Amino acid sequence: MKTTRRMAMGLLAGAASLGLSMGAAQAQEDIVIGGSLPMTGVFAFAGISIEAGMSDYIKLVNDAGGIDGKMVRLAYEDTGYKVDQSVAVFNKLTSQEEIHLYYGDSTGFAKTIAPELVRKGSMIMGGASFASELNNPEAYPYAFIPGPDYTEMVNILLEYIAKEKPGASIALINSDTEFGRDPIAAAKARAAELGLDVVLEIITPPGSVDVSTEVLKLRRARPDYAISHGYILAPQPEFMSQAKALGLETKFMGTFWSMDSSLWKTVGETADGYMGVMPYRYYYDDADNAPMLDKIREMRPEYQSTGYMQGFLSAMLMVESAKRVLAEGKEMNGANLKAAMNTIKDFDTGGIMGLPISMPGNSIPVGRVYQFSAAEGKMLPVSDWINVE
Amino acid sequence: MSGDLLFFIEISLAGLGSGALLALTALAFVLIYKATRVVNLAVSEVLMLGGYLFFAFAAGLGLSAWVALPLSILGGGLLGGIVERGVIRPMLGENPISVFMVTVGLGSILVGMAELIWGAEPKSLPAFISTTPLFLGEAYVSRKIAVAFVVAGVTISVFLALFRFWRGGVALRATATDQAAAYSCGINVPGVFSVAWIVGCATAAGAGVLLGAIGGISTTMGVFGLSALVVVIVGGLDSILGALIGGLALGLIQSWASTYLGGEYTSVVTFGLLIVAMMIRPYGLFGTHEIERL
Repeated sequence: MKTTRRMAMGLLAGAASLGLSMGAAQAQEDIVIGGSLPMTGVFAFAGISIEAGMSDYIKLVNDAGGIDGKMVRLAYEDTGYKVDQSVAVFNKLTSQEEIHLYYGDSTGFAKTIAPELVRKGSMIMGGASFASELNNPEAYPYAFIPGPDYTEMVNILLEYIAKEKPGASIALINSDTEFGRDPIAAAKARAAELGLDVVLEIITPPGSVDVSTEVLKLRRARPDYAISHGYILAPQPEFMSQAKALGLETKFMGTFWSMDSSLWKTVGETADGYMGVMPYRYYYDDADNAPMLDKIREMRPEYQSTGYMQGFLSAMLMVESAKRVLAEGKEMNGANLKAAMNTIKDFDTGGIMGLPISMPGNSIPVGRVYQFSAAEGKMLPVSDWINVE
Repeated sequence: MSGDLLFFIEISLAGLGSGALLALTALAFVLIYKATRVVNLAVSEVLMLGGYLFFAFAAGLGLSAWVALPLSILGGGLLGGIVERGVIRPMLGENPISVFMVTVGLGSILVGMAELIWGAEPKSLPAFISTTPLFLGEAYVSRKIAVAFVVAGVTISVFLALFRFWRGGVALRATATDQAAAYSCGINVPGVFSVAWIVGCATAAGAGVLLGAIGGISTTMGVFGLSALVVVIVGGLDSILGALIGGLALGLIQSWASTYLGGEYTSVVTFGLLIVAMMIRPYGLFGTHEIERL
């Protein structure tokens, strides 16, 4: 047979399309975790770490053969920490891929997309938000929080304070944002139950820098503890610096997103003594029976931030749920995945969390109080793991 | 002195201090607008860059804070000069909205550059202002805020004097009033534009270092510039005195609102004030009537 140029081109095109369709079939076999990740903008420092944590856990799973022979893949795009952009990314990714597991970047996005999750019924969603409102399986049946919600975080701190100094006086310092205001009402109620006295509430406008006026209020109230929430770093160091200069003995505390030790290390001596709640172990923690920490340190010899641990555990919970659904031969959908996640009981995270974890609802109400040591440049544990279930 | 009165004085002093920071940032907007009729929204990001330059010089290169500070201010000025010569001047005569949008884009580029070079996480600046509390009589003032107040006061006074008495300042005012007439009088109008951008951006960079010394630096610290924009609009886009008085007044009002109404009312009061001021004097308290609003 005489091979013409047209035939050759046809054969090439056929081979190419066969290759493409095989590639597509391969891609369809993957279990895709979708993500609206804040790789730029105000929350970028967390988004970059979260992506690294999720990718590393997925690599470990794939290196071990994947889930039931299927590879896991993270498909994400940057959102700039803007709700409209997060929704656009969600719509784009879910129309391009078959996605049953999703990571969202904010409370605003989680709340915005919740009705769509219910309508689709095809996936569960975790994310960077620990908003208390999301910890309601009836209102948010397909949401999960990879740790304690913000109210539970503050409750862990209050439990610690009640034990260390019964009857202590407390100031609540919150940013005037949805994130910042989240735990205020519940914290006041829980403090009253524990016999603690909330003597001052300070709300700072978003983006506020100078806190001199607020420090004056603090000087008047002279609380034993000040629990701040709704910040990453600023303006907490300025609060601490001015309070120390004024001779206040107030102990400053914060919640998860304020607890990265590399951020506090840059603050220097002023940061010494800062405390807060951390649901996960730190990269550098010494712990027996923590093989995952060892693997992380092997994969990444340099310090990984708190966001990394959050991303790592989020991916672990998603993968574990998918594993359980596939093991039972069920369809991968929101209801089955969430039911599977709720069967997680006394689960060993490989040392990422200090206790075997369970997720009967939407959160894992476990955390530990750490304190920053300026001399060591590290957060050191000052309590056992506290479960406020 | 009664405790309540002392407390009122203290929060008022704190308000004046933080208002001075606003005034200093507002000055950067005013200097550029006054000469070029461009509302440079990128002032916020130049402020951020000033903080990062200080971080690079003081923490990265280990230079003394007193060397890093002028270098950061010079860096801001250099950036202003490059932007004016490279981007703004070719747009002379274009629609003001186009120029305004260029400054918005410039802001995004600066944030992206800072994230690429220094990373996305917030940082603290090496301490160079003492934290020892300052007492005026019995009243406590944060030393950093007192320093900000003095710096802003001196800087704005110098600019007020320059505009009134210095030949270059008069040239700048003439350019602002009528560019064609200024040209015909032999004033180097493009040169005036360059000077305004250089000095405006240098001022913003200096304000960024002060701001960073108080609240640390992050790529989103430019948000502070938006508060300063409120000052500029209330005080008058082309009034240096308006920037000073508007800044101090806003700082005071925010401090009182935060203390007696609660921090959640600060933004409501700030923007309520903006609306009222606009209704009474649409061109700002000290602005020129002919100001074109964007």
